[in-house]
Amino acid sequence: MTLFGLEITLDLILYTGAFGLIVIGAAGIVLAHHLFRVILALAIAEAGANLLLVLSGYRWDAIAPILSGSESAAPMVDPVPQAMVLTAIVIGVGVQALAVGLAMQVKKTYGTLDMSAIRQRLEADIAGTAGIATTGSQDAPLGERPLPPADAVPVTPGSSAR
Amino acid sequence: MNQIVLIVVLPLLAAFLVPIVARMSASLGAALGPLVMGVCLWITGTVAIESAGNAFAINIGGFMPPLGITFFVDRLALLFAFLTALLVLVLWPFQGEHRPREHALTLILAAASGGLALSGDLFNIYVFYELVSVASVGLVATGRRSSAPAIRYLILSGFGSVLALVGIALVYTQTGTLNLAHLSQLAPTHLINPIGLAAFALILLGVGVKAELFPVNTWVPEVYATAPNRVSALLAGLVSKLAALVILRLLVLVFAQEQALLVMLLLGLLGVITGELAAWRAQDMNRMLAYSSIGQLGMVFVAFSIPGETGVFAGLAIALHHLVVKPALFLLAARWGGALSGLAGAAGGNLPAALLFTLFALSLVGVPPLPGFWAKLLLVMGLAEQVGPLYHFALAGILIATVVEANYLFRIVSTLFHRDSPA
Repeated sequence: MTLFGLEITLDLILYTGAFGLIVIGAAGIVLAHHLFRVILALAIAEAGANLLLVLSGYRWDAIAPILSGSESAAPMVDPVPQAMVLTAIVIGVGVQALAVGLAMQVKKTYGTLDMSAIRQRLEADIAGTAGIATTGSQDAPLGERPLPPADAVPVTPGSSAR
Repeated sequence: MNQIVLIVVLPLLAAFLVPIVARMSASLGAALGPLVMGVCLWITGTVAIESAGNAFAINIGGFMPPLGITFFVDRLALLFAFLTALLVLVLWPFQGEHRPREHALTLILAAASGGLALSGDLFNIYVFYELVSVASVGLVATGRRSSAPAIRYLILSGFGSVLALVGIALVYTQTGTLNLAHLSQLAPTHLINPIGLAAFALILLGVGVKAELFPVNTWVPEVYATAPNRVSALLAGLVSKLAALVILRLLVLVFAQEQALLVMLLLGLLGVITGELAAWRAQDMNRMLAYSSIGQLGMVFVAFSIPGETGVFAGLAIALHHLVVKPALFLLAARWGGALSGLAGAAGGNLPAALLFTLFALSLVGVPPLPGFWAKLLLVMGLAEQVGPLYHFALAGILIATVVEANYLFRIVSTLFHRDSPA
């Protein structure tokens, strides 16, 4: 099967899937507001990296790399990446457990899991500890209130037409 | 000389023994960690004398590569292993109440750092790197208000290791091995291509999280501002240098191509400029030191991007100088934490500390007789020898950054020695 002149093979689909998972994870880490979703996004990205590592040593015409005593004629799948993926999965689980534990601590300290709220509280916290004024947050405009004074005549769209 | 393996094994073992021993005897538990680090220091010293500068490799358990785990021990690895043990011992939490958990985490950090320095295999580097990351996040979280910076740090470094893992997978698809010695033989034919460059960029960004490389260093100011100063000193002094060592090894052995050097030069230069400018604007001591650390690490990367031995020596000189100076500054800053404007006349309270701070600040800027000057001189000479506009642009950038650096450090020194203190 071909699509746009590119032949679609199972390999291509799997590689695209692996990179796709990593991209989904990256987008989640950047875009998600809830801390728990960020941790899940990290898990998705890790799954993509693991899939890529397995694919790097996989052959469709080979058998599982288990030594059974009698030499078989068929070639075996490269066992090294599979051993590495096992290690990487275990490390990933450890990191996720640590992240969830820390998230509980964050919830206890700040009372929220919203990333932007946490960042604001953090900035204020650091500035407060150091005894300096907050250097303005990304979510609030710098300087004076950019709104018109309260007694100004409100201009509504269409009022000039009347 | 196989006993060098013990500098990874002993701290790791002790890390899990400390909580148990502390339950039986508090004083024995408190003494175990420093004792083990002292033994590590002694082992590294004797191995360094025994090997007399000759590099050798250890295949653990007798399993040959590619299946076995290889430690590659050369002078550079021994130097960093020695400095790891020394710095951990110097920054050991002797004062205050005994907290077994903190001791255990510090020991895990020491073991993983030793492993990172000695490892001769790309995948083991990844494993030790993750161990460093878990231990340092745990240490950061021991601060009173540092759970939020800790988790932001963990997520960034977790994503960094995903990128590094993808890079490692790309290397494996191209060469079929992850042993560094084997890779260096295969690299000229298999990795000098766009895929090799992509793998380098991914590993650089991944490992660069710990090395405070430009786009992935957003964790630095908030972690150093909230973590205990001892932990900040360990992270800025030790962990960032080990990550830089990993990148140096990969660059020299595996990815020695022109484009890879250019990528590093650009990211390093951006780090220098952004770091020093942010430090100039910073209003409290800890964050100023954090930003200045980003700038210094950027200089290390600029130095590594100079081809040949000049760059390696210049980069190592700056890295080792920073490894000594920045922890010292962080420890001194523990006394003067808080707003810079509140420091007026602080030298009157503690003159030796203020004089020491001045000395370290002068060395960091690079005033002639002090070691920092020679490190920066190596870098500037190396950059000036290169042809190509980008290197000369980097030279100008570094000199301007030095002026900025001098400005903010001297501003603090003059505040410290301000005569009519408001108090």
